[in-house]
Amino acid sequence: MPSLMILIPLFGVIILNLVFAVNSRMKKAAFWLALAIFSLQVVVAVFHHPALWNDSLGRIDSFLNVSFFVDHLSFIMFICIGMVSIASLFVARYGMKDEDDIFKFINLLIMASIGMSGIVMVKDIFSLYVFMEITAVSSFLLIAFPRSLESLEGSFKYLILSSIATVLMLTSIGILFLAAGGTDFDAIAAAIGASYENALVLAAIGLFICGLFIKGGLVPFHGWLPDAYTAAPAPVSVLLAGVVTKSAGIYTMIRITTSLLPHYQSVNNILMLVGTISIFAGALAAIGQDNFKRMLAYSSISQMGYIILGLGTGTILGIAGAVFHLLNHSIFKSLLFVNSAAVEKEIGTSDMNRMGGISQKMPVTGTTSVIAFLSTCGIPPLSGFWSKVIIVIALWQAGQYAYASLAIIASIITLAYFLSMQRRVFFGKLRAGLENLKDAEGGVLTVSVVLAALTIGIGIFFPFVFNTLILPVKEILVR
Amino acid sequence: MIPMENNCLLACVFVPVIGAFALPLIGRVSELARNLTALALVTVSLVTSLFLAPAAIAGHVISVSYSLPLGFNFILTADALAVFMAAASSLVGAIIVLYSFGYISHYNNRNEYYLMVTLFLGSMMGLVYSGNLIFMYLFWEITAIASWRLIGFFREKEYVLKADKAFLVTVFGALVMLLGFIYIYQVTGSFDLSAIKAAFKNNAIPDIAVALILIGILSKSATLPFHTWLPDAGVAPSPVTALLHAAVLVKIGVYVFARLFIATFTLSQIWHTVVPVIAGVSALVAAGAALVETDMKRIIAYSTVSQIGFILLGFAVSNEVGVVGALLYILMHGLAKGGLFLCAGIVEQNTKTKDITKMGGLIATMPVTAFSFLACALSVMGVPPFGGFFSKYLVFSGAATSGSIMITSIFLFGAFLTLIYLFRIFNMIFLGDPQKPPAKEGSGVMVLSVAMLAVLSIAGGILIKYPSDFVQTAVKQMMGI
Repeated sequence: MPSLMILIPLFGVIILNLVFAVNSRMKKAAFWLALAIFSLQVVVAVFHHPALWNDSLGRIDSFLNVSFFVDHLSFIMFICIGMVSIASLFVARYGMKDEDDIFKFINLLIMASIGMSGIVMVKDIFSLYVFMEITAVSSFLLIAFPRSLESLEGSFKYLILSSIATVLMLTSIGILFLAAGGTDFDAIAAAIGASYENALVLAAIGLFICGLFIKGGLVPFHGWLPDAYTAAPAPVSVLLAGVVTKSAGIYTMIRITTSLLPHYQSVNNILMLVGTISIFAGALAAIGQDNFKRMLAYSSISQMGYIILGLGTGTILGIAGAVFHLLNHSIFKSLLFVNSAAVEKEIGTSDMNRMGGISQKMPVTGTTSVIAFLSTCGIPPLSGFWSKVIIVIALWQAGQYAYASLAIIASIITLAYFLSMQRRVFFGKLRAGLENLKDAEGGVLTVSVVLAALTIGIGIFFPFVFNTLILPVKEILVR
Repeated sequence: MIPMENNCLLACVFVPVIGAFALPLIGRVSELARNLTALALVTVSLVTSLFLAPAAIAGHVISVSYSLPLGFNFILTADALAVFMAAASSLVGAIIVLYSFGYISHYNNRNEYYLMVTLFLGSMMGLVYSGNLIFMYLFWEITAIASWRLIGFFREKEYVLKADKAFLVTVFGALVMLLGFIYIYQVTGSFDLSAIKAAFKNNAIPDIAVALILIGILSKSATLPFHTWLPDAGVAPSPVTALLHAAVLVKIGVYVFARLFIATFTLSQIWHTVVPVIAGVSALVAAGAALVETDMKRIIAYSTVSQIGFILLGFAVSNEVGVVGALLYILMHGLAKGGLFLCAGIVEQNTKTKDITKMGGLIATMPVTAFSFLACALSVMGVPPFGGFFSKYLVFSGAATSGSIMITSIFLFGAFLTLIYLFRIFNMIFLGDPQKPPAKEGSGVMVLSVAMLAVLSIAGGILIKYPSDFVQTAVKQMMGI
């Protein structure tokens, strides 16, 4: 069954180009096909019935010669991928007017989601690399989609830094392959455990982690991220911020550290240090931004820092907190990017100095943005509060008092830049010249409302969500 | 366990919190229905709290709890302290909502206003009854969100800036406090107050945790050095300032002080000196600021900062008399200071200014407001037979018995300053040469509300037996006497 998560969207792309490409009416229907594929993905991941997932497809699987596996962490990632792709889809239909563009966009979107679904299901390090490249190449094309100078620059930056990451990781994979004689996670974990102090193996680990830091956009490897997020067209920003960097960088980091390096305290120390630096650097940089999307991009860097910080504790609670924050962040940050898309589309700019008081004209966008940013700041009872508090408790229990204190105090910087954003964009008096502003169209508003409802709902029903969805993730540690 | 009382407890918190979100919808249909629903929701809190009162006086502790993972159990506990606090704040809250009918009726964003006020009072109930640190923090932050939106009610740029400032300062304090909670969690493995109480039965709580939590308390209660947001927040509509800065919000900090540091932990000796000193400095500095300000609402706001110092003093000496005084102080100050802010609101709305140097002689045209203002001011000053006299006297008596003559005299001086600045503001607004053109009296419900608060301030003094019996039970329960 797991291979169907790849095969169904792949067939979807083929059908799309064989059947749906014939005329413009069919092209319009492509949207619904993509929506169906992504919705299916979310549904089967939320109700992960074992009968559905444990069946292998026998002949097809042996023909493809792949061995996928899924656990609860994969389910959470599937939910994120499906949900954010749906959001991105709606934003694309709202933002792009040319049908051909939408059609091409949908193709690329499905390709990117195939890549990400692959990343979260593989258990050997080389396949991991292959799926990461599929995701990355689709992302380059998506960022460069409008073919403006700005977007090409953003895409080029991402391409270059991503290639560096690729080179680092390939080198590392080569060395680890030499050491282990295979690329399977278990084989490599055994090899690393055996040749504990081999300099070459340590170098390989270091290189791989650096590659992942680049992919995840963590400070000091974050240079590409604000440019790429800002230059990309609105639906692509949603996708990148919501899930691409998370699955390529953060998820892989979680998987690699827990499967391959479970007892390396030095790796954990590096993770916590980089996490804290990212939290502060991202938040401080966000304060000074005038561009809505750029501020959100820096905010993403900062929030990725929290996830890495939680992961760095190496405890069950810390990793649960990290995964929980990953899920929450992908919801509320997509929500913010969806809203930024709506604002950008209606006003024609994402420069915050040219906005003001638009809550009066765009009430739904304004209100949902407040919910999303309060959740980012970790204000209860919203979802972000619980994941942050779990991360901080885990840090405290691991004896990392300084990191715990820093993580909490950084929330105030987060609140500061979001309040400044809120004041300049949504709150206050309506800026002259915006009298005829309207709220975004129904589809996008629905997405905003659903994401905001999830942010509130996860916050209020936190115990249920935490017990059923997040806590089972601990199996990745005790395996 | 009597199920009826458990239901009351749940209703007291969740009826206003959940009902608040229906208000904007009702507001689309009918203004009046929304206003009355808001009042009804707040009254539910008042009535249910009063219903719990007999059991609380008899010494029963009613508790509702739901088990959640990680020691995050959801617990509501109604002991005498909580019931007293809930009744006091919902009483003032209900009068303020009534006053809003008149005051807010001609501004924009009325739906948001009623939503936030009701949500605020509901989460206040949640905070007061909460028997678990993490939920106390949760409701604490909801009150911060609501007050942020309420301070920025008039969407002017500088107002919104001041709203953001208030939000940032209180959230900063709350985050530091959360660290303190997590420190305690690390030691005890639970956020449940009764479990924490058992764990700290024989030893004092670590000083670092006390310091961290104290920063949260001081920022919420606008005590030096975190007090500057409170006078700035005077840009909010008057009922909001009354609600936030006089009656309810600033009392959250001192309530949590009482709940944690008196009813749950034992403090080490040093804090019995440090906290009164902070409170004393705060009381004097704020009183000095109130003497020189000319903005009516800022004067009253500084007065609040100053009076909070007295409440903290009463709690910090932590002998029985002092704590009884401090609890009565919360009630009396809430009534009287709420009345002052609401009177100021009437004056401001009818004279279109907040500058007291540009007013005078208003007693001729607005007599009810003037006498209500005077009654409330006398109560804040602590003149017998007003309610404020008894609470102030008991706080002083408690401080004196604890042997700190130095600190008691600082506060006596502070009380003297209170007298001066309140007479000054009364003179400048209501006496002297009449203004041209003479301002009218406020609308019916507004005048009725301030008169109610004035009458309650007097009644609180004359009928001091009832609240003080209640409070003495609460103190006995808290201090385990």
